[in-house]
Amino acid sequence: MQKKRAYSFPDEVLEHVFSFIQSDKDRNAVSVVCKSWYEIERWCRRKVFIGNCYAVSPKMVIKRFPEVRSIELKGKPHFADFNLVPDGWGGYVLPWIGEMAGAYPWLEEIRLKRMVVTDESLELIAKSFKNFKVLVLFSCEGFSTDGLAAIAAGCKNLSELDLRESEVDDLSGHWLTHFPETCTSLVSLNISCLGSDEVSFSALERLVGRCPNLRSLRLNRAVSLDKIANILCLAPQLVDFGTGNYTTELRPDVLSNLTAAFSSCKELKSLSGFWDVVPAYLPALYSVCSRLTSLNLSYATIHSPEIIKLVSHCSSLQCLLVLDYIEDSGLEALASSCKDLQELRVFPSDPFGVEPNVSLTEKGLVSVSLGCPKLQSVLYFCRRMTNAALVTIAQNCPNFTHFRLCIIEPKTADYMTLEPLDVGFGAIVEHCKDLRRLSLSGLLTDRVFEYIGTYAKKLEMLSVAFAGDSDLGLHHVLSGCESLRKLEIRDCPFGDKALLANAAKLETMRSLWMSSCTVSFGACKLLGQKMHRLNVEVIDETEPPCSRPKSCPVDKLYVYRSISGPRSDMPPFVWTMDEEGTILH
Amino acid sequence: MELRLGLALPTPPFDTNGSCSSSSSSSGGVGGGKKRRCFDEESRVGGGVPKTLHLLVWNTNRRDDGDEPRDLDDNSSSVVLNEEEGLVGWPPVKAWRKKLRRHNGRPNNNRIAAAKNSCGGCRASNSTYVKVKLEGNAIARKIDLSVHRSFESLTATLMRMFDISEEHQQKSFRLAYQDREGDWLLAEDVPWGTFIRSLKCIKLIRSRSC
Repeated sequence: MQKKRAYSFPDEVLEHVFSFIQSDKDRNAVSVVCKSWYEIERWCRRKVFIGNCYAVSPKMVIKRFPEVRSIELKGKPHFADFNLVPDGWGGYVLPWIGEMAGAYPWLEEIRLKRMVVTDESLELIAKSFKNFKVLVLFSCEGFSTDGLAAIAAGCKNLSELDLRESEVDDLSGHWLTHFPETCTSLVSLNISCLGSDEVSFSALERLVGRCPNLRSLRLNRAVSLDKIANILCLAPQLVDFGTGNYTTELRPDVLSNLTAAFSSCKELKSLSGFWDVVPAYLPALYSVCSRLTSLNLSYATIHSPEIIKLVSHCSSLQCLLVLDYIEDSGLEALASSCKDLQELRVFPSDPFGVEPNVSLTEKGLVSVSLGCPKLQSVLYFCRRMTNAALVTIAQNCPNFTHFRLCIIEPKTADYMTLEPLDVGFGAIVEHCKDLRRLSLSGLLTDRVFEYIGTYAKKLEMLSVAFAGDSDLGLHHVLSGCESLRKLEIRDCPFGDKALLANAAKLETMRSLWMSSCTVSFGACKLLGQKMHRLNVEVIDETEPPCSRPKSCPVDKLYVYRSISGPRSDMPPFVWTMDEEGTILH
Repeated sequence: MELRLGLALPTPPFDTNGSCSSSSSSSGGVGGGKKRRCFDEESRVGGGVPKTLHLLVWNTNRRDDGDEPRDLDDNSSSVVLNEEEGLVGWPPVKAWRKKLRRHNGRPNNNRIAAAKNSCGGCRASNSTYVKVKLEGNAIARKIDLSVHRSFESLTATLMRMFDISEEHQQKSFRLAYQDREGDWLLAEDVPWGTFIRSLKCIKLIRSRSC
């Protein structure tokens, strides 16, 4: 059959048009219009995002997209952040780097989240990609400062090195000296996670001094306050700055130098760091506060009065991360000072304490919901809550996209009525029609899941712990939440029935995690047998699941869709249920 | 609402009307009962003790102090208990934040509490409730120490709380506690007064694990 090309554009024109389409969703839509568009699109896709590194193999990605410049990969499930995924589970990046080293010599950007990165991988990156620019390692582990030295030395055009929240074997601060004197291209450097007390400060200063485009610099705790003024004077163009520890002996010149240094940073919009704060030095910040859009005080052990003083200067604040030392009174002050607030995260200062150590309750969150009409994203740790408060919050903030509430004691009821918090969370999902992420806590029955299944149509990620009565709860979620991509559950009485009845749903999602629930080994086997495009992984560190009767519940279950079949790098405590019903190891 | 089974294990079809209504009272009994049977059967059939999970059957008819989970199988010890935390991964605070807290040290909090109290602070930090855990049980309970004057009365209450009714079972447990410095000690080694003054939380441990 003759291909009708008379009415179509030449490939180059289409390619040019496609270059304006950046979002993955749109690119994916373009690629399914017709075969020729699929072909043209795949040759010009420059950025690939892979939400689960085991959903597809490196070879498959390379085969389809031969000219990629930027790749983002995510490895371990989210609950790995809370030690629920045993060490050695997986998420290794080396196989990816190995394949890409040959296939993508012009790769510029690698962004990884929750992956195991070794020094070998870092050395391979430094060696293989001549134009490498951006390395972001978010919550990664497995590498040391030796690997960082290789990156510093080998990547001549490095613009971004961001190690946020990663666990780095900090062997020595001297890796910074491996940045050659010719390196002037840094735009962003985040070393806040580095633990050691030695940071080659002179190397850091020289590096900062010769990089005129440096916009974002986040130091680690080892850098003391008296050194900050120097750094800021070398880089007054900074937009985002993370201090080291915010303490030093009280000397009059330190405060004045610091104040002057901060005032010279006219572009500064974001501050973080603040370990070990000496409150006397906080006034140094006041001159920049009015321009700040983001403030991370979540390491700062300062108390409500100081926080209030600081925050009341921050009229442009959009994002605040803080410890619960802020208390209800501080949140009230926040609500009256920061009308542009969009994101609030309140972390617990004493998460394992039996009794509350601060006066932070549901009242604080209610004040903020009332005073900050643009509030969209909340993460709130507290010790008590009421349905009434949640209903008020929901009515005040119908624009929530992210709502994560953690009531510290599991199964805590509404403290006034002693009822479950079903109605409160129900109000959240009913009023907040754009809700994409929700984390539940407190005493909850199957009813809350009925509300979620009915109303939370845009919900993409749901986290559940110690909730529900029966499989009906899980069934409501799996059958009702049309946009659900990630579901993570722990310690809930959810078992086989809801899972098997909604098996097809799992292929429309990225992943499902269930630990300490009542899903039987037999159900896992059946799921693995029937659903060929799902990897059904059973994790059990004490003994093989097949040594017990099929009806026995599995400890941890991780189910994810994949087009590359079961993975080959499973540790001894992970079993995959395959198509023949055998268990792979 | 009916569940149509796409895939089914060889068990009777899921009857939503009967066994799994969303109203609270029945599900606790019936649904939980079914699951309990599974565990009991298996423990009789197989040779060794099966590893079971902490299935929390919420009985909404009883609501004393807000949490009374019932453990279905005391033999399990599958949840790894951290010295400091009761449950792995709860509350969901990232590991490095926890490290931060340890770095800052607990004395910080005591100073804060003291400061608060001295300024006519808000709440009494000398509550008489302490956390008590049973080894192998995921959920901690709370017990009011002010009503007890001796180890006997405390132990009797704990046995009742955790449904350990048989004497031989009772004898297999020992009372341990964590003091303010974070060390774990046996209660039987100290006088009642010392115990009460220095304890932070209590744990019932099995004799064999000492």
